[in-house]
Amino acid sequence: MTHPAALPCAILAVVLLAALSLFVGVTDIAPMDVLRGQADARQMQVLLASRVPRTLALVLAGAATAVAGLVMQMIVRNRFVEPSTTGTVESAGLGLLVVTVLAPGMPVMGKMLIASLFALAGTALFMRILRMVPLRDVLLVPLVGIMLGGVIGAVTTFFAYRFDLLASVGAWSMGDFSGVLRGRYELLWLAGALAVAAYAAADRLTLAAMGRDFTTNLGLNYRSTMVLGLIIVSLVSATVLVTVGVIPFLGLIVPNVVSLMIGDNMRRTVPWVAVMGTGFVLICDILGRTIRAPYEIPIATMLGVIGSAAFLFLLLRRRHHAAP
Amino acid sequence: MRMKLGAVLGGLCLAVAGSVSAQSITIPHRQGEVTLDSRPERVVVMDWANVDNLDALGVSILGVPGSNAPEYLSKFRSDDYLKLGSLQEPDVEGIAAADPDLVIVAARSRQSQPQLNRIAPTVDLSIDNDDFIDSVTANITELGEIFGKEDRAAEMNAELRSKVDRLHDAVQGKGRALTLVTSGGKIGVYGPESRTGWLHKEVGFPSVLDDVDDRSDRGDAASYEFILETNPDWIFVVDRDTAIAAEGGQAAAALLDNELVHQTTAWKEGHIVYLDPQKAYIVMNGYQAVSDLLDQVYEAVTADS
Repeated sequence: MTHPAALPCAILAVVLLAALSLFVGVTDIAPMDVLRGQADARQMQVLLASRVPRTLALVLAGAATAVAGLVMQMIVRNRFVEPSTTGTVESAGLGLLVVTVLAPGMPVMGKMLIASLFALAGTALFMRILRMVPLRDVLLVPLVGIMLGGVIGAVTTFFAYRFDLLASVGAWSMGDFSGVLRGRYELLWLAGALAVAAYAAADRLTLAAMGRDFTTNLGLNYRSTMVLGLIIVSLVSATVLVTVGVIPFLGLIVPNVVSLMIGDNMRRTVPWVAVMGTGFVLICDILGRTIRAPYEIPIATMLGVIGSAAFLFLLLRRRHHAAP
Repeated sequence: MRMKLGAVLGGLCLAVAGSVSAQSITIPHRQGEVTLDSRPERVVVMDWANVDNLDALGVSILGVPGSNAPEYLSKFRSDDYLKLGSLQEPDVEGIAAADPDLVIVAARSRQSQPQLNRIAPTVDLSIDNDDFIDSVTANITELGEIFGKEDRAAEMNAELRSKVDRLHDAVQGKGRALTLVTSGGKIGVYGPESRTGWLHKEVGFPSVLDDVDDRSDRGDAASYEFILETNPDWIFVVDRDTAIAAEGGQAAAALLDNELVHQTTAWKEGHIVYLDPQKAYIVMNGYQAVSDLLDQVYEAVTADS
């Protein structure tokens, strides 16, 4: 059990991180100057056109990616999955490639929709495979997902190679916030809204996570709840992919950490997952902007390094306390 | 029996004649040296810069890479030329079957040199970015000697030198430059050590930065704030996606069209130059590519003076 003040404290910490994020960058902007109104026009422009959008994008993408990971774990009923290990992100990437080849001029919203449809189809395929294969070991589920993702990724790579688009695919698969500017990230508000939707549907998703029979007995439509979860996961994956690229590991680690802390009731965990996802992404991005300043290290690299270490720690820790 | 004897005698005569007329050629290259018994005639080139060089020298080529052929070398896309793998991965079996008497690798294919050298004499003509123009002209001179086109090689090199000198004079007092590479909606920066470093080192354009190396072919990741703060007088853009996909070409321009880049001197003065992406990114150091890039920059720099 956590202390009642824990969540407000965590939120405060993330707000402070977000404030710090506003003042990290190539241009020198002092917080006091801005508060006193002494910042010059150029500093204000950098703040409004680059810093604020970047911080908002980090908050929205971080929260939504982590929550999408949680929802994925709920609907698959497995703790070791997230959209980038179940074929969802790979399918969205394939969709994005198809749009790029067939209708390169399509507006971003259209691209995102097509990517979402592919993500939906890929995730549904994953669920279908899970239902057909009797899986006794929990670790087989992520393995199946990783294999499916590998197959879809291979198809994407093949066509990207054929159409000379390997570079674009490489860029999508590398999450990076350096290109975020006013006017270039707003799609992420949709991802944020979906995280809120996940919160609203938290009770239903928690029930659905307990299985089809249990859910049906309680008078809840299992199928529509699953579809809702799938739509949240697919849309979040597609919006984040289209705007900043793949953010790996986040959806896996954060829900696991939160589950260790406060259990599995989604109504209670969603705020925590959102807050910790945001904090994690903010820390990684601030470090990525600082280590090689004035150049940047993409967030995907930072998360890959920090995230894989954190995940190993989680796994090894669990082994210690293993209660079969 | 008589026929056999004839064949042996004939062979002997040919061998003697051959050893008299041909002198062996030793070619030093980046990974050692190879010795040829005679002037090569069946030449496989796994690098567009050297296809460019040989084409300009007027040497005929047997096989080329099957990928990324730049527009100005599009004649090599035809079936008259063997396609021997991609720029990065030579088709070893295809090269063996083509039975070449010289294989040229460089840059992206240079790691195949030891393997290909077991099939046919293979030279690595990669250039040295630290010594760009000298390296390019040294390659041209060497190719001229191998194929007996020394005069044409000297002519080409003289032309390159004069273009470098002309541009060097033209950039004096024109301010500082930044080279960007755009890829998949992201921007990276290239510095004096990179594949476009010759703009700074050889042509003498002062760079806005001096600590970037080309460890990644997309440059070091940077934000728009970085461009705003370094405030270059000139921005040279290498659109990597267009170089590879050879389509569109608006991607980089759309990326840079934003309120932070609008604040830079380069944008205000209209000093953003989109380098021919295939010549700057794919070919990089062939005679025609370098010559055209030197012209392109010269025209941009002298346009408003």
